[in-house]
Amino acid sequence: MRQPVQELIERYQKNLYAAAFNICKNQMDAEDVVQETFVQYYTTKKEFESEQHIRAWLLRVAINKAKNLTVTFWKKHKCSLEDYMETLTFPDPQSRDLFEEVMKLPEKYRIVIHLFYYEDYSVREIADILKLSESNVKVRLSRGRAMLKDSLKEEWEDDE
Amino acid sequence: MTNKEKYKDAFSALEPRECSFQEVEQMAALQKKTKMKIAAAIVTGCVLLGGTGTAYAMNVGGIQRMVQIWMHGERTDAVLDVTDDGTGYSITWKDENGEEREVSGGGIAYELNGKERPLTAEEYLEEWDSPDVEYLDDGSVWVYYRDQKIDITDKFDKDGICYVQVKDGKDPIYMTIKYQNGWGCDSKKYPDPKELWGVKQ
Repeated sequence: MRQPVQELIERYQKNLYAAAFNICKNQMDAEDVVQETFVQYYTTKKEFESEQHIRAWLLRVAINKAKNLTVTFWKKHKCSLEDYMETLTFPDPQSRDLFEEVMKLPEKYRIVIHLFYYEDYSVREIADILKLSESNVKVRLSRGRAMLKDSLKEEWEDDE
Repeated sequence: MTNKEKYKDAFSALEPRECSFQEVEQMAALQKKTKMKIAAAIVTGCVLLGGTGTAYAMNVGGIQRMVQIWMHGERTDAVLDVTDDGTGYSITWKDENGEEREVSGGGIAYELNGKERPLTAEEYLEEWDSPDVEYLDDGSVWVYYRDQKIDITDKFDKDGICYVQVKDGKDPIYMTIKYQNGWGCDSKKYPDPKELWGVKQ
């Protein structure tokens, strides 16, 4: 199955941006990643099994593109995370703290945490998207949670 | 509040700039043209190695020709034609699933005096006989040349440059590839990234 790009943009733009930002830590790079991901969907002839398949594919492509950006020396946009955070409107100070602490996590924990807490994916689904083993995802999730608990104290529940 | 609710609240602050379908459509068209233009510009720089290039072409009337192209390591029958607007060429072939695929382009060649001119049909065919670099959805990167297929995903250095050699018969073709920024090739030595991209390596 295929779905019109217009619909996918409306539905998943924000999710892809959040995932890409989680890795790039940069607004403009993340926006580029989102656009390039939709371009890739538009140009690929790939057929999908379901809407969930499309969503997972889009996220995987966006994550890969964002990772590629972080490993290349060809960094297009330079704007500090701190400067960008000043432009964001958080619902409350705790949300800001949480956002800030997540961004301090090593990337390999950050993206697993994001897919679990933001995208509501299970360990198995995250393993599938990131091409990791389930046990590896569990370890990363556990270490990421422990780090968040350590820094956020009572603002973060023990939910393992 | 659960951790999930807290997390979603925190990340709800992220608001991307609106991405429109028109932008996506334009980018897709631009990428296609840019790829052709870059490849065409590079092919004029390594025309020596293309000198023995396999055009595999046969006139069938007018400019339209039956040609054979290498597609992902497989030799494939295709038709070369002039595009409707007369400014470039199209190549159509059937992919491994029997679906008709078409790529159009033309590109620009640079004369020795620096003057630009459109590629001739022969040069356009030569372009198809040059190596290709493809970035796949799974993050892997491949070099294709005729029946050669090389996984270069892990071959990029810290500066995003990869050096790889393919064979044109017995002769080597030295390729210098910059991650997602094009590539150059030469029959004698690896092209210097500084000369290709004008950046300090």
